[in-house]
Amino acid sequence: MTVAIRAIDLVKSYSPGQRALDGVELEVISGEVLVVMGPSGSGKSTLIRTFNGLETLDSGTLDVLGMRLDASHDEREVRAIRQRVGMVFQQFNLFPHLSILDNITLAPIKVKKITPSLAEKRAVELLEQMGIAEQARKFPAQLSGGQQQRVAIARALALDPEVMLFDEPTSALDPERVKEVLDAMRQLAAGGMTMVVVTHELAFAREVADRVMFMDQGKVVETSDPETFFSQAKEERSRRFLRQMM
Amino acid sequence: MNRILDRLLTVLMLALLGWAGFSAVHWLLFSADWSVVTNNLPLYALGGYPLDQRWRPLVWIALLIVMTAVTLVGPRQGWLRQGLPALWSLMVPLGVVLLAGGLGLQPVPTRAWGGFSLTLLLTVCSAVLSLPAGVLLALGRRSDLPVLRLASSAYIEVMRAVPLIAVLFFGQLLIPLFLPPGLELNRVLRAVIAFALFAAAYIAEDVRGGLQAIPPTQTEAAAVLGLSPFQSLRLVVLPQALRIALPALTNQAVGLLQNTSLMAILGLVELLGISRSLLANPAFIGRYLEVYVWLAAVYWLGCTAMALLARHLEIQLDPLRSS
Repeated sequence: MTVAIRAIDLVKSYSPGQRALDGVELEVISGEVLVVMGPSGSGKSTLIRTFNGLETLDSGTLDVLGMRLDASHDEREVRAIRQRVGMVFQQFNLFPHLSILDNITLAPIKVKKITPSLAEKRAVELLEQMGIAEQARKFPAQLSGGQQQRVAIARALALDPEVMLFDEPTSALDPERVKEVLDAMRQLAAGGMTMVVVTHELAFAREVADRVMFMDQGKVVETSDPETFFSQAKEERSRRFLRQMM
Repeated sequence: MNRILDRLLTVLMLALLGWAGFSAVHWLLFSADWSVVTNNLPLYALGGYPLDQRWRPLVWIALLIVMTAVTLVGPRQGWLRQGLPALWSLMVPLGVVLLAGGLGLQPVPTRAWGGFSLTLLLTVCSAVLSLPAGVLLALGRRSDLPVLRLASSAYIEVMRAVPLIAVLFFGQLLIPLFLPPGLELNRVLRAVIAFALFAAAYIAEDVRGGLQAIPPTQTEAAAVLGLSPFQSLRLVVLPQALRIALPALTNQAVGLLQNTSLMAILGLVELLGISRSLLANPAFIGRYLEVYVWLAAVYWLGCTAMALLARHLEIQLDPLRSS
């Protein structure tokens, strides 16, 4: 059992006196799916954004795939981590001026220096895996939200990451589009990808998560296996959250 | 009641318009003496360019017209369409070489350049110089480094607060002072540099507007893919920002073409300059109206061609309309 991400006493505040992260400790095991839940403002998005250096830390240390991140925020370390950790955003954040294919091949060609033809071949494979190979020549604005999010997943996968971070990947989608994105994520989890997923999708968490972590006010309230979390959560705060969600 | 008034006004307006139109056409066809234009067409086009070398600027102007036509109404696909961006970027150095000489062509001093060919050269050269300068200034103004940010802002604010004609005079007088002794820039080059420095401040603000329209999430998306800040700027942010700024940049380009006429005051014999010296010729005394109507038409044609080309570029760069 190797540890992909280990966080020790992470602290981060945006304004004095209000801590977005307040002493967070956690471990993500290689190959597991960790689902992070919690009310809005609980710090869950901030937390996974520290894993690839999108947010700086005030104190505490992170070990991501053997690389160390702390308050000093070493740019070279951050870029090395980003090449091995993929991320999918709530708003997809595709590049609107590039075709779907160019969106996916940009980083492999420019960052990993893979030849364009090889990168393109891999991109087509990934699009097939996501079930949208026929969209390769189109532009982001011509695709539905669900399709765009699957392109975003393919774009992240094109760098062959060892860890995938999902920051509320279905929150901006029409309800009938949610399933196609979750299916793609299920498939990824089944393939053994290490995943950290911030989501409000209870059914997905119950079915796919290896562990569920519940956060509130910048603190980890509890971490359990999904069975326990959804039927008999240890903490009253988690139970109250679940009652409101169901 | 109102209807009667409406009809009356309509009839009155039509009568006025008809009368104005009739007198304009009548003047254009019968009263005006166009000999001041028709006898001097080579001068308007080329100024005092040496007679035996006139083919050089003529070739350049002809090529520009052909390129414009091919771009606007040429084939939609094929090698010609593919090669257009490369061909267009060749036009600037080609123009300089054709006018100045060198590479086997007999050198022609800049004081012999003139007319529409000089107007075009001044426009494209200052546009080509001011665009990168403007982009750098816009980036400087958004930089995290306070010194760079302040310097860019100060430059932009000062340049925008000074009239162009003052900048042009300063350019003629001051640029030689900054150069090492022995190195001398000719008048045309000094004018182009002063012009570009001025336009860069305005272009910087247009580009800044484009940059502001790009959400920070685009930079984030580029960053998490491992792109360096420079790659993110070059591949993700700038292409989108420039596309957004394109209508404003077109405005600047059209303004550039028209403002080259100010260089007549500096003694350059571009289109306006050559016209003024023609008007000073006793043979054409008092032919102001003909000459200025003719000038307006030529500038209008040039600006319209530029506007159409820019419109074309806008459509080309819009992924949803070009595909």
